[in-house]
Amino acid sequence: MCGIAGFTVPTGLGPQVRRDRYEARARAMTASLFHRGPDAQRAVLLDGVVLGQTRLSIVDLAGGHQPMKDAATGVTVVFNGEVFNWLELKTGLPGYRFRTTSDTEVLLAAFLARGIDCVKDFVGQFAFAVWDPRDATLWLARDRVGIRPLFYAVTKEGFAFASEAKALFAAQWLPPKLDEDGVVDAVHLWAPLAPRSQFLGVATLPAAHVARVRGGVFTARRYWDVDLSDDNVDRGLTLPEATEKLRAVLTDAVRLRLRADVPVAAYLSGGLDSSLICALAQRELGGALQTFSVGFAQARYDERAFQQEVARALGTTHHVVEVQDQDIGALLPEVVWHGEQVLVRTAPGPFLALSRLVRGHQTKVVLTGEGADEVFLGYDLYKETKVRQFWARQPASAHRPRLFTRLYPYLPLSQQAPEVLKEFFGLGLEAPGALDFSHQIRWSNTGRVARFFSKDFAARTAGHHPAEAVKAQVPAQVLGWRALARAQYLELATLLSGYLLSAQGDRMLMGSSVEGRFPFLDHRVIEAAARMPDAVKLRGLDEKAVVKRLGRGLVPDAVLDRHKFPYRAPVAEALVGAKAPGWSRELLSRAEVERTGVFDGAKVEKLVSKLAKAATQPSEADNMALVAVASTQLLAHQFVHAPREVSRRHLDAVRVEDEAVAAGQR
Amino acid sequence: MTTARERLRLFITDTFFVDDFGDSDSFLRTRIIDSTGMMELVAFLETDFRVKVADAELLPENLDSVENLVGFLKKKGVQ
Repeated sequence: MCGIAGFTVPTGLGPQVRRDRYEARARAMTASLFHRGPDAQRAVLLDGVVLGQTRLSIVDLAGGHQPMKDAATGVTVVFNGEVFNWLELKTGLPGYRFRTTSDTEVLLAAFLARGIDCVKDFVGQFAFAVWDPRDATLWLARDRVGIRPLFYAVTKEGFAFASEAKALFAAQWLPPKLDEDGVVDAVHLWAPLAPRSQFLGVATLPAAHVARVRGGVFTARRYWDVDLSDDNVDRGLTLPEATEKLRAVLTDAVRLRLRADVPVAAYLSGGLDSSLICALAQRELGGALQTFSVGFAQARYDERAFQQEVARALGTTHHVVEVQDQDIGALLPEVVWHGEQVLVRTAPGPFLALSRLVRGHQTKVVLTGEGADEVFLGYDLYKETKVRQFWARQPASAHRPRLFTRLYPYLPLSQQAPEVLKEFFGLGLEAPGALDFSHQIRWSNTGRVARFFSKDFAARTAGHHPAEAVKAQVPAQVLGWRALARAQYLELATLLSGYLLSAQGDRMLMGSSVEGRFPFLDHRVIEAAARMPDAVKLRGLDEKAVVKRLGRGLVPDAVLDRHKFPYRAPVAEALVGAKAPGWSRELLSRAEVERTGVFDGAKVEKLVSKLAKAATQPSEADNMALVAVASTQLLAHQFVHAPREVSRRHLDAVRVEDEAVAAGQR
Repeated sequence: MTTARERLRLFITDTFFVDDFGDSDSFLRTRIIDSTGMMELVAFLETDFRVKVADAELLPENLDSVENLVGFLKKKGVQ
């Protein structure tokens, strides 16, 4: 796991000219990604391209140095992530003489054998760049669900890419400015819609894409997609059969993800998914598993009782970090600095505290349960979609909307009256075949943040409609899928890669130099799940039935039988009022909000004073608006108004060389 | 003297941060009010207008627009 960066340069320049022109840029980009790879920082100035890499050593600690070059062809790679099946791939590459035991060299050999289509053989999580001097082409690739990040900018001076946008700004490829339409995306969809990023002129390579840069021309194409069509479903599959299929594929996904030359630990939330992953990992490790959890000082967010029960039952060595309200506010500037996007939830903060705990225990790799809710229909959104579809068949029914009270038992009583439920959940009911039927309620609820936009900002972005942008991107065949399949596709395409795996995933892990691994997002697990009928995943209104069945006997019954507990973190109480951090008083002031220009200073002032003196629990809409404003302000402050400098120490640490050292020579 | 309608509109503007809404717009359908918003609204009616709102009265026809609220308050004897 690592950070990568690079850019194209004209061919035919002498080594000294290259150094004079590009060393400073190579150094700045690489150094700005120090946190992603504190074990080594190198950059090479080649004829046609500059490549930089910061390394977090996990596999072949001595031999896996990067950038790595094949001596015979000059093909050179920088690689962030893991190809977990590298041992299996290696046996299929008899024509290449391996000099190291690193997965990076397997990637290199696979590319030499198959070209960029080698990604189709990879089981893994990766973002990498390969320079092929034979045809002066730079190739880029990103894993199937977007676990590892990759940003790029096409500029007059060349094509530049990096694991994080900050590297592009550090080398002054372009001035940092917020992408205003991207901000609108974030307050509807929870993240800018790829390839859009949160910064103007910076794009992200979407998940499951490869790209080619040749002669200054960038082209990208998709190499994989999930097939959730009815035709792909094995209709006769029973729940017990599906459970055995899941057992086989998930056990293997965990087994491959325990491959490392350093210890692999696991996150434990206290819910089903992470508990199951911990159970499977503990079996493989024979009792050596360490688990790490977040506890909240506020009881309403806390799951420590369940975490301890699982840790005890599995016999893991367990560690907990307790998060207080004020920690959330204190962490948010770092969260936004690493996350590089506008947020509507504070939930990433505790993940940053958690990765710090892991790193503090000299651990670099953790497994997590992320992805099970998307793949096995765990979210309430899927149940809501199911109920709304059922209701749409008899829109006049008074009985059908009552099902929502079973779905959201925690809704206030005033919302439980059937007539009220009807008004609230009836959005879009007249068009149950609409592509975004499942997401209309969530997107319109989150979209309430838009009412805090300043008049000028709202006018400038009036032509941008996030839901329309999503619809324009989704492949045509998806429209023909059943409602739950459409819902899943949208969830994978927006929330998972755009938010959960990035601002709440990779960035919060790498912020503390820790690599996350996600067995539920192994594409073989995703493909197996796609072949299972909906009824083994969402059984009636019982979510993740097949995962629960597999978990029975492996994890404590209390975890299987508890009501699904949405992961949340404190918001208003952490950002305004008595426990407010110093930065919030300054950056949420009317003058600072108006300086950024996204939100209306007077409205924000009112919101802050309303929340500061609120005697009752703040509404979801107000909480989301507050986080959106705070994160936008922090983003503008740290990237645009007062950009953070790359530290001298990190700049000096980067070794800049004229040629990539051939594989295995170090 | 401000009318009930004006007081209601002011409360909604201030509490839910909307400027632009019609007297007959549904709060729920237009997302002006969310799950806790209804509670804020009922609490406001009870403290500011001194009316009691029974569970059976928690209905869109009573609460779901400025127009409906004005009608509801009228029934409760507030002009």
